[in-house]
Amino acid sequence: MTFGWLKRLWRLFLRQDWIAVLTAVALLGIGLAFIYSASWRGEDTGIVGAWFHKQIVWASLGGALALTLALVDYHFWTRHAWLLFLVSVVLLVLVLVAGRKVYGAYRWLVLFGVPVQPSEFAKVALVILVAHVLGNPALPPHSLGLMLVVLLLAAVPFMLILVEPDLGTALVLGPTIFFMLFAAGMRWRYFFSAAVAALAAAPLGWYFILGDYQKERILTFLDPARDPLNSGWNALQAAIAVGSGGIHGKGFLNGTQNVLGFLPRTVSPSDFIFPVIAEETGFVGACILLGLFALLLATYVRAALVAPDPAGSLLATGLAGLLFSHVFVNIGMTIGLLPITGLPLPLVSSGGSFMLSTLAAFGLVQSVFIRRARAPSSDTIG
Amino acid sequence: MSGRDDQLQLFFPWRIALLVLVMLGCGGVLVARLWKLQVEQAPEHQARLAKQSLRSIRLAGRRGKLFDRNGVPLADNRPSYCLSLYLEELRRPGPRQRTVDAVMDTLYRLAEVMDRPLHLAEQDVWAHLRRRTPLALVAWRDLDAVAMARFIEHEHEFPGVSLTVEPVRVYPEGTLAAHVLGYVGRADEERLAEEEAAEAMDAGQEAPERYHYYLSDVAGRSGLEKALDEDLRAPAGGRLEIQVDVAGFKYQTIEESSRPAGLGSDVTLALDVRVQRAAEAALEGQRGAVVILDPHNGDVLAMASAPTFDPNDFVPTIAPEQWRQLQGPDRPLYNRATAGEYAPGSTFKPVTLLAAMRAGKIRPETRFNCPGVFQLGNARFRCWQTWGHGSIDLALAVRYSCNVYLYHAALACGPEPIQTMARHFGFGRKTGIELDYERPGLVPDDAWKRKNRGEGWRDGDTCNLAIGQGAMLVTPLQAATYCAALANGGTLWKPRLVLSRTSPDGRQLPVPAKAVAREKLWSDADFDVIRRGMRDVVQAPDGSGRRARIDGFEIAAKTGTAEYGLKGSGKKMTWMIAFAPYEAPRYALAFLAEDGASGGSTVAPLVRKLFLAIRDELEADAEDAATVPSIREPAA
Repeated sequence: MTFGWLKRLWRLFLRQDWIAVLTAVALLGIGLAFIYSASWRGEDTGIVGAWFHKQIVWASLGGALALTLALVDYHFWTRHAWLLFLVSVVLLVLVLVAGRKVYGAYRWLVLFGVPVQPSEFAKVALVILVAHVLGNPALPPHSLGLMLVVLLLAAVPFMLILVEPDLGTALVLGPTIFFMLFAAGMRWRYFFSAAVAALAAAPLGWYFILGDYQKERILTFLDPARDPLNSGWNALQAAIAVGSGGIHGKGFLNGTQNVLGFLPRTVSPSDFIFPVIAEETGFVGACILLGLFALLLATYVRAALVAPDPAGSLLATGLAGLLFSHVFVNIGMTIGLLPITGLPLPLVSSGGSFMLSTLAAFGLVQSVFIRRARAPSSDTIG
Repeated sequence: MSGRDDQLQLFFPWRIALLVLVMLGCGGVLVARLWKLQVEQAPEHQARLAKQSLRSIRLAGRRGKLFDRNGVPLADNRPSYCLSLYLEELRRPGPRQRTVDAVMDTLYRLAEVMDRPLHLAEQDVWAHLRRRTPLALVAWRDLDAVAMARFIEHEHEFPGVSLTVEPVRVYPEGTLAAHVLGYVGRADEERLAEEEAAEAMDAGQEAPERYHYYLSDVAGRSGLEKALDEDLRAPAGGRLEIQVDVAGFKYQTIEESSRPAGLGSDVTLALDVRVQRAAEAALEGQRGAVVILDPHNGDVLAMASAPTFDPNDFVPTIAPEQWRQLQGPDRPLYNRATAGEYAPGSTFKPVTLLAAMRAGKIRPETRFNCPGVFQLGNARFRCWQTWGHGSIDLALAVRYSCNVYLYHAALACGPEPIQTMARHFGFGRKTGIELDYERPGLVPDDAWKRKNRGEGWRDGDTCNLAIGQGAMLVTPLQAATYCAALANGGTLWKPRLVLSRTSPDGRQLPVPAKAVAREKLWSDADFDVIRRGMRDVVQAPDGSGRRARIDGFEIAAKTGTAEYGLKGSGKKMTWMIAFAPYEAPRYALAFLAEDGASGGSTVAPLVRKLFLAIRDELEADAEDAATVPSIREPAA
């Protein structure tokens, strides 16, 4: 019996990006604090619902998952990328067939009594697969064919998630794939062509892909006064919450928009946690939160730069793109920059599957970082 | 290219750097947007937040009280115990129907526990939930001790229900002085808002924001309650600011922007309940009015109108069938003392005589013969004494109320001096008393007649005017102020109902008495003849008002009997104006009874009854204290 493997594990553990770990822990802490606040109903009632306690459980499970994935070599996952992808597609199909309907959408699959969102798993699986494909030295690089292959692969989960429907989650796949293709050195003209094609496809998407409620959301975004009591309500109330916070905020547990229920209570701990934070901590608090996300993204980028191989670099880049898209779309929609799409804020919003997928992604990036090349850059510049 | 080179070619740190720039740019957009929302537009969003979550409620202030001159409360407030339901504590999640069901269930159980009928139906609860969500639902008002005790016994079973107190207007003396006090009704929110805005403007302040909700407040609807509404109402009602949740239920009270309800000013009236009671007792069973003034200052010691009503019936609201009754032919709500216009009859004769003396056409010793009838052209004017009074002088003409003497006197001086004298005594215009709906009466003249009858003034009109008949109209209040002037030597006082106001901080603001006219258009000797004649009306065994006589309490008076309606219909307004005691008058009154037989036979006994009551009630005190319980004006 030797404990050599244990020692190796310990050494790997110590090679983690501790800045990233601390930043993630800080964001989780902020999330817990404001889920508590979003559940707060005044002195007499205290907090209601199970969001807060569930979040502790999910964060713990997610932490364990992240640590496990950090210690396991990410090449194990890239080697089985196709299998993961296949499983994720099967689950996405299954959810459409046997999923649970919540608010008119089939997003949840009940496994052993626990509702899970296959789309969360599918996002990560897609990034692993694309990193595997683009990082494969055997394939012809920067070719139009390879780009189309990647786009076709991405289109499968994209369409499946879109018909659930979960427009927000489907849309974040776009920037993610773009980040990876760009980092992999795809030619500029392909991007321009893709952009033109996307613009041309937009009207088609409007008429054939988007559902009425999605169109309504986009119209409302363009003109919030259109229907202030229905589809405009959340956007309006989120803006009032954020705006009324002022520079310093109203103080912890003092966010009236949330306590009084103007910010809908069903979504304030999840998709609309940012208005709660911004109302109670003001511009200062909101900027600190953005700063923490920037710091976390910086550690992802650093992992991409010091990765031992292109697959690892692309994996970190893709996951950075995923994290960034989530943060930008979530905050952007609560402050009127983007239409309302149900998309949570990573590490902060309540939610099980999303917490696990975010922390799984975090673990994968750590795995890349732990296996970093000794000298991070000079000899790898191409 | 080797495989190794290919691998290097797959790695583009500068492209990653570019992606970092893109992310930074997007982050910058977020920060810029946050700056705009949270820093530049913060006040705007805070205002929108306040608009959707803050509600202001106007609380009723404590209405000021009305006291008689000796501090007897005439209009007061009493606590009414109510049972209120706090809907924010009774609410149920889910559809509103569940909350309504929960409220109805609580109401049924409360009705059972207290053994009191439930007046609220489900649609009332719905209406309250829709329109007054953050306010407590008052389910029962004016609970008695038994019902309250039963509730308290079971209070723990009823969370969200509690006893509350509301001030309710009460008139402790019931019908006493009902027409003077008036009554209150539920305040109209619109008018309340407008009035408070106007008051703020007057005070040079910014108009207050409209309240979201108005708790039931009362406003004066008639009488002094209406006329003094601004004083009695708290200058500004209380303000309660509450925070409501998205469903409109109350979340909490915002203490900083709330203020308690203020107090209204109390008002002390010139009325003396003892005199008022005596007046109403004398008027019992009649249709008519009595006004009693202090001749030294115009203080209204009593003002009664019959039939009457109980202002307590209007609290909180009057029942429809009661209201219909009050609209009946006898018109109990109508204040005959100020709004009733009647021909003064012979009570007017002193005016005619003073005018004729002033014009120099007659003197006190001037005699005329009364054969019982007076021929004017083709018309015959009768004296009430068909066989005539014979040859009499002025004092006797007053004592017997001889018409023929008056025709001679009036025709001798013409109508203008009489009209001038009538106006001097305040006839033909409102006295300006603090009450609404006062009528001016009428002193007819040539211009009036041309306008209204289409023909000029004739001597017959002068004869009618001389004896207070024809188109001449006066109110009992005018008759009383005129009588007070006869009593005090000729000063016409503006009748005064309000002696002083006591502001909520305890400052007493007296209302000075006001003389309308002081100059004397006659010699004291001439005036004295009239007064002596009036004394004889009661004191002489053959005086027309002898039935008012009280031994040891010298009364001077003038009776009046005025026909009205179609000639020969026999309908008469019967009058007496009187003052007493003769040497130092403290009471001057006008007593009108509709459809009596004559002033001397119908009203004189009632006046006697009235003065007897006053003498027994007040004069004993007055002798002890050597002063009359009234506020005297300093000698003018």
